[in-house]
Amino acid sequence: MSVKKQVSENSKKIEIFIDGRFDFSLHQHFRDAYANCTEKGQVFTLNLGATSYMDSSALGMILLLKDHAESHSGSVVITKPSESVNKILEIAQFHRLLTIEQ
Amino acid sequence: MQNNLRLILSAGGVIAIAILLDLLFIQSSYLSIIAAVLLVTIFAYLIKEHNKVDLIQTTDKTNENKSSTDQDIEKTLTDIASLLHQQLNIIDNEVDRASALIRDAVTGIADSFKYLKNLSEDQQQMLNSVINYQQGVDEDKTMTIESFVHDSSETLEDFVQVIISTSKQSLEAMSFTNEMSKQLEGIFSLLGQVEGLASQTNLLALNAAIEAARAGDAGRGFAVVANEVRALSVNSTELNNDIRQEISKTQSIIERLQSSVETMASADMTSTLEAKNRVSEMVEHVGDVNNKTQKVVEELTLISPKINDTVEVGIRSLQFEDLAHQTLTSLKSNTETINLLYQEIEQFDVKQGNSAEKLSILQQKCQQLIHKADHVNDNRSVSQSSMDEGEVELF
Repeated sequence: MSVKKQVSENSKKIEIFIDGRFDFSLHQHFRDAYANCTEKGQVFTLNLGATSYMDSSALGMILLLKDHAESHSGSVVITKPSESVNKILEIAQFHRLLTIEQ
Repeated sequence: MQNNLRLILSAGGVIAIAILLDLLFIQSSYLSIIAAVLLVTIFAYLIKEHNKVDLIQTTDKTNENKSSTDQDIEKTLTDIASLLHQQLNIIDNEVDRASALIRDAVTGIADSFKYLKNLSEDQQQMLNSVINYQQGVDEDKTMTIESFVHDSSETLEDFVQVIISTSKQSLEAMSFTNEMSKQLEGIFSLLGQVEGLASQTNLLALNAAIEAARAGDAGRGFAVVANEVRALSVNSTELNNDIRQEISKTQSIIERLQSSVETMASADMTSTLEAKNRVSEMVEHVGDVNNKTQKVVEELTLISPKINDTVEVGIRSLQFEDLAHQTLTSLKSNTETINLLYQEIEQFDVKQGNSAEKLSILQQKCQQLIHKADHVNDNRSVSQSSMDEGEVELF
């Protein structure tokens, strides 16, 4: 249960890893991971490969990240969600809002 | 018997000739010759006479024979007549019976066909209303299961969106309360500074009191002021503590608020996921059922016209009553012919010697009947012989 962050050399690409349960307890760490990235046109990649569970607060956090990215002309890409996590993303119709890559 | 007689006479003649020849060539007695010639002559005459009698006897025999033949003919004809009469009665009765049976049966069948047609029309109407219902013609008034499931699915999606939106707003509220907490921390540090000021004021007032005591009577009034200032600093420290306590309470309230917000934000999506799956299955199932029902109903509507067609064919086939009636009627004309024949035969009366004449009259009558029957038969062959010709409406 942790949030890790990788920033590319030109700081245009920020990759955030969520390990284990993605729930409310991570909200502060998650917010901290992107709050100070205010450059224009940054791409935030949310790697859910190691995410085992996601509740509605995780969806809310992703939406907040999306708002943040868009307010700085950037975008959000979700990668490698597991089957159960992908189902939740589908219910929330995130496929219409974001790019989801397997 | 006559033949025997002729044989004896001939034998006698031959013997007489033989004796004559014998006497001529062997004995040559004139008297014997004359006697032999006389004998031959007598035999010759006898043979001649006998032949005459023979002829007459034959004629008599023929007359006798004729008389017995007439009786035979009459008896035979009487037999034929009675057999004809009996058979005619049976045929007439059977034809009448067949006519009545066919008429009754046709009436019954026609009624059932009519009823069947009505039923089929009713069924068609029901099916049409079912189809209209399925296609949603009455959509404004009624709610179909399909639309209900569709609505449920949409409601569920809206519900999910509401949950997510609530989570997002809660998280934003969370960050605001975090900022508020930080602000309160700032107030604490300010309060610390205010406390520092109070303690410095307290120290200052203490110093002032000391200086006032040293000044003696002149400093007495100043000592009072210094005490008041000290009291103020103590009061302000108390006030500070009160403020600190209040802010601490606020902080604990904020913590409770944050936990509430956390609860609000953290909705487990698993049950929603299951509900969504169930609704999806339901949508699929209802769609399947609807399609199948639609298909069956459409097939049923195709069957109804077929039933109608079949009923039409059945009704048309009922023309066989007419045809059968015609056939039976023409059969009646045949029996009439036979009846006339029967009457002629019954009237046939054989008397001595007129049989040939009577027979010839009977033959003539027969010829007339044959001619008449042929005429009737020609007419019959013109009449309708197939049931597929023409069409009959329901009656």
